[in-house]
Amino acid sequence: MKRRTLLLSGLGAVGALVVGWGALPARSRLGSGKLWPLDKTDTSIALNGWIKITPDGGVVLAMARSEMGQGVHTALAMLVAEELDVPLSRVSLVQAGSDAIYGNVAMLVFSLPFHPTEMGEGDKQAATRIRLSQWMVGKVARELGIHVTGGSSSVADAWEPLRLAAATARASLLGAASLEWKLPVAELTVKNGVISHTSGPSAHYGQFAKYAAATPPGNVSLKARKDWMLIGQSAPRKDVPAKVNGTGMFGMDVRLPGMLYAAVRLCPMLGGSPGAINANAALAMPGALRLVPLQAWAGSTAGFALIGKTWWQAQQAAQAVQVEWQQRPAGALDSRVIEKELRVSLAQEPGHVFYEQGDVTAAESAAARTLEATYSAPYLAHATLEPMNCTAQVSGGKVSIWVPTQVPQMAAAVAARVAGVAIEDVKVTVTLLGGGFGRRLEVDFVAQAVRVAMDSGGQPVQLVWSREEDMTHDFYRPMAVATMRASIDKQGVANSLTIQSAGEAISPRWFERAATALRGPLEMSDKTTAEGLFDLPYAFAHQKMSHVATRKFVPVGYWRSVGHSQNAFFSECFVDELALTAGKDPLAFRRALLRDAPRYMAVLDLAAAKAGWGAALPPGQARGMALHESFGSIVAQVAVVSLEGNLPRVHRVVCAIDCGTIVNPGIVAQQMEGAVVFALSAALYGRIDIEDGVVQQKNFPQYGLLKLAQSPQVETYFVSSQAAPGGVGEPGVPPLAPAVANALYVLTGKRQRALPLAG
Amino acid sequence: MSLNINGKELQTVADPAMPLLWLLRDVLNMTGTKYGCGVAVCGACTVKVDGLAVRSCVMPVSTVVGKRIQTIEALGTPAKPHALQLAWIAEQVPQCGYCQSGMLMAASALLDKTPKPTDADIDAAMTNICRCGTYQRIRLAIKRAAGVPVKQVKS
Repeated sequence: MKRRTLLLSGLGAVGALVVGWGALPARSRLGSGKLWPLDKTDTSIALNGWIKITPDGGVVLAMARSEMGQGVHTALAMLVAEELDVPLSRVSLVQAGSDAIYGNVAMLVFSLPFHPTEMGEGDKQAATRIRLSQWMVGKVARELGIHVTGGSSSVADAWEPLRLAAATARASLLGAASLEWKLPVAELTVKNGVISHTSGPSAHYGQFAKYAAATPPGNVSLKARKDWMLIGQSAPRKDVPAKVNGTGMFGMDVRLPGMLYAAVRLCPMLGGSPGAINANAALAMPGALRLVPLQAWAGSTAGFALIGKTWWQAQQAAQAVQVEWQQRPAGALDSRVIEKELRVSLAQEPGHVFYEQGDVTAAESAAARTLEATYSAPYLAHATLEPMNCTAQVSGGKVSIWVPTQVPQMAAAVAARVAGVAIEDVKVTVTLLGGGFGRRLEVDFVAQAVRVAMDSGGQPVQLVWSREEDMTHDFYRPMAVATMRASIDKQGVANSLTIQSAGEAISPRWFERAATALRGPLEMSDKTTAEGLFDLPYAFAHQKMSHVATRKFVPVGYWRSVGHSQNAFFSECFVDELALTAGKDPLAFRRALLRDAPRYMAVLDLAAAKAGWGAALPPGQARGMALHESFGSIVAQVAVVSLEGNLPRVHRVVCAIDCGTIVNPGIVAQQMEGAVVFALSAALYGRIDIEDGVVQQKNFPQYGLLKLAQSPQVETYFVSSQAAPGGVGEPGVPPLAPAVANALYVLTGKRQRALPLAG
Repeated sequence: MSLNINGKELQTVADPAMPLLWLLRDVLNMTGTKYGCGVAVCGACTVKVDGLAVRSCVMPVSTVVGKRIQTIEALGTPAKPHALQLAWIAEQVPQCGYCQSGMLMAASALLDKTPKPTDADIDAAMTNICRCGTYQRIRLAIKRAAGVPVKQVKS
C-alpha cells in the first residue's frame, strides 16, 4: 500500500470515532511535532503535538493544564499511559506550548445554558438544536484555543484528543517496528512500552521513535473499554512524592539569582486609590529599596508595591508607608446596601428567563396551597492557602514570568500589555498552584509583578500578597438572593415551581478584565450565576426560572462551583420545604419528581441507601439530603448533623456521584472529601462583609475555615457509568450546604434561608 | 547569630526581629516551609524547635538562637523517608500540597511526644488549616505511621 493511502485509511479509522461535537475537534487537535518548544538539548522525538518519546522509551506529555490539587497531572497522564501501554511512572510532563490545539473546548461547550430534559432522547428537535449549538461553540472554542484550567473540564476535554494522540503515536511506533522487522503490525504486541513479536524480536519505544516520526499511523483505534489496564484504577498521584518532602515548586518557591521581593498594599476601599504617599521613612528601613505605584490592573484596586531584599523587609517597609487612601468616586461599596438593592431588583425587574414550561401563573391561581420563600447567600473569598504571587523579570524587551495560574495565555497577554511588548516576547512558566478554586483565573497580580519588575533594573522580582491583601482584594463569589415559589394542586401534587434570582454577573466582568479580546460579544445573560436554578431535574408540570444580572462594582469572580455554590442551597432547601409542606418524606418526594430523570434518581438512591435513610439515629442527630448536577456530574449527599450548644456539628457525609466514566476513583474520592470540607467551611462560617468600601474579614481568624477536629467523615460511592467523563473538582461542593441545612431543620424546626448557617 | 538548622550550625547576619520563616525562605532559600497567614493561625509555616511544633511566621530569629531547628527538608531523606512521609504517600493525602509541609511537621512533633495517638490527641495537635480538606486522610496517615489500628469504613 502506498504511504498516502495508508495515511488516508488511518484518518478514515479516526474519522469513524467522530460522534457529536467532541470528536470533530479531537482529530483537528492532534497537532504536529513542530508545536513543541525548541530545545536543542532535548534528545526525545516528537510524534505529534502531545507526545514525545525519549531515547530510553519513556513518554513525554505536553501538559496544558494546571495542577492545583485536583489531580489533573495524574489523570491526563493516565489517559496517555493507557493508550500507549506504558506504566504511569514512564510518563513525564512538560509544559505545553501556546498552540490552539491545547485550548479547552469542553469548558466553553459546557457553559451553554441548556436544561437537562432538553438534552434527553424525548425531544428530538431540542436535541438537534442543542447538538448544533454545541458543535458551533466547539468549533469556535477550537479556533480560540483558550488554555484554561477550570470548570471541572480538563478530563472531559482531554478524553478524546489525548487518547487519540497517544493511540496515534502508538500506531506509528508499531508501524515503524513492522517496517524494521518486516513483520505484520497485527502480530506485534506491546507491554510496558516494549514492542515484541512471538518469533523473538523485542525492543522498547525509544528504538523506533525516529522512524515512527516519519511513519503514518495507519489504522488508529482507541482501546476497547474491556482492555483498559489503568483507566478506572486508583493509581497513585504523580505529584504526591514532591508534596511530602518540601520540594514541590509552588509560585512562591521560585528562587532566581539576584531575585528581589515585593510586598503590596492596595487601597483598603475597593475601587479606591492612593492619594498623597510619603515613603521617606519606609524607604530608610533595612532592606527596603523602592516604591512602585500600581494602577488598577486587570480588575484590581490601585495601590503600590514596595521592593525589598527579602519579602519580610519589603512588607515591614510597605506597612510603614503613609498613604491618604481615597474612596472610589462613585461612593463607598457596602454589602448590606447591596443586599437590599438585590431584593428590590428581585421584586421589580423581570430578569432573563432561562427556562419556562407550562403556565406557572395559571397553576398558582388554581393551587390548593402555595409556598414562597426568599433565600440569600453572602460574598465569599477563595482564600487559597498560597497567597497571590507572581515572579517576573523584564529585561532587553523580553518578559519572563513564573506564576501559579489557571490561565497562562491570559497571564502572557496582560504581561505583554503592561510591559509594552509583543506576546511572543513573554515566556510563562506555570508552577504548582497552592490552591486555585477560581481565584487563579485572574491576572491582576501578574500585571502588578510585571509592572514592578519594569522598575527593578532587570532583576527578577517576586511579588507576594500578604494574607490580608489576599482576603481583602479577592474577586469574591457574588452575593445572591432568590425567591422560590411553588404550588400544590388540589390532588396534593406539587405542580409548579417559579424561581427568580438576582446577583452580580461574573462572566462579562471577567472577559473585560482577563480575556479582553472576548469582551463585548459575550455580554450576555449571565449563565454562571444562574446555573443550578434553571436546570433542575424535577418534573414540575409548570416551571419558570428567571435571573436578574446586576452590576454593583464589587470585584466578583468564579468560586469553586460558581453559581451552583449558592443555587443548590436555594433549590434543594426549598424542595425540602415543599416536601415537608406536602407532608412527604424528602426522599420519597424527590423520587416522585425524578420520574423522568433516571440518572439523578440512581445517584439519590445510592446515597440514601448507603446513609441508611430512614433508619434510627442516636438521639440528637438528624439526616439531611441534597441532590445537584453541575459540570456534567450528579452528586447526592446525606449529612448527619447534631447540635453542640448552638453550633451545628456535621459527623458524617455520605456522597454518591455519577461522573460518567471514572478515570481515577481515588482522585474522585479525594475531590469529594475536599469539596465537603470546602463547602462546609462556607456553609457554617463563610461570609465577606463590605463596609465603607472595606472588606471586614482580614485573615483566617475572621474568615473561619474548618480544621481537622471539626471535619466530618466523608464516604464516597460511585454510580457505574460508561458515559464520557464529567467533572469532579467542583460537583461535590453544591449539595453540601442544603444537606446540612435540611438536617438542621429536622433538629431545630427552624428553617435557615440565609448562609452562613452558624452566623 | 548562630543557628542550628537541621543539624548544621550556620552564621547569619539577619535582622534578629525577622521571623524564622523568612530567614528560612528568603535568606537561606529553604522554601519547603510555607507562608499562609503570618499570624500563627494556619500552620503552613510549622517547623520543630527543640522538638516542639512552632509557627515560624511569628518566631523572631533572635528567639531560636542556640535551639535545634528542624524543617521539612530534614524530616526524612530520599533514601530513607520518614514513616509519616511514607504514610502520607500510602494514604494519598496531598491535593494542592501547600499545607502539607506544616502538617507533616506538626504530626512529627505529635508522634515524638505521643507515639500512639488517639483521635482526641490528633484533634488537639493538628490545628493547621488545609484549604483542600485533606483532614480525613491526614488522620488516617498519622495512625498508619504510628501503627494505630483504623476503624474501616467501606467506601
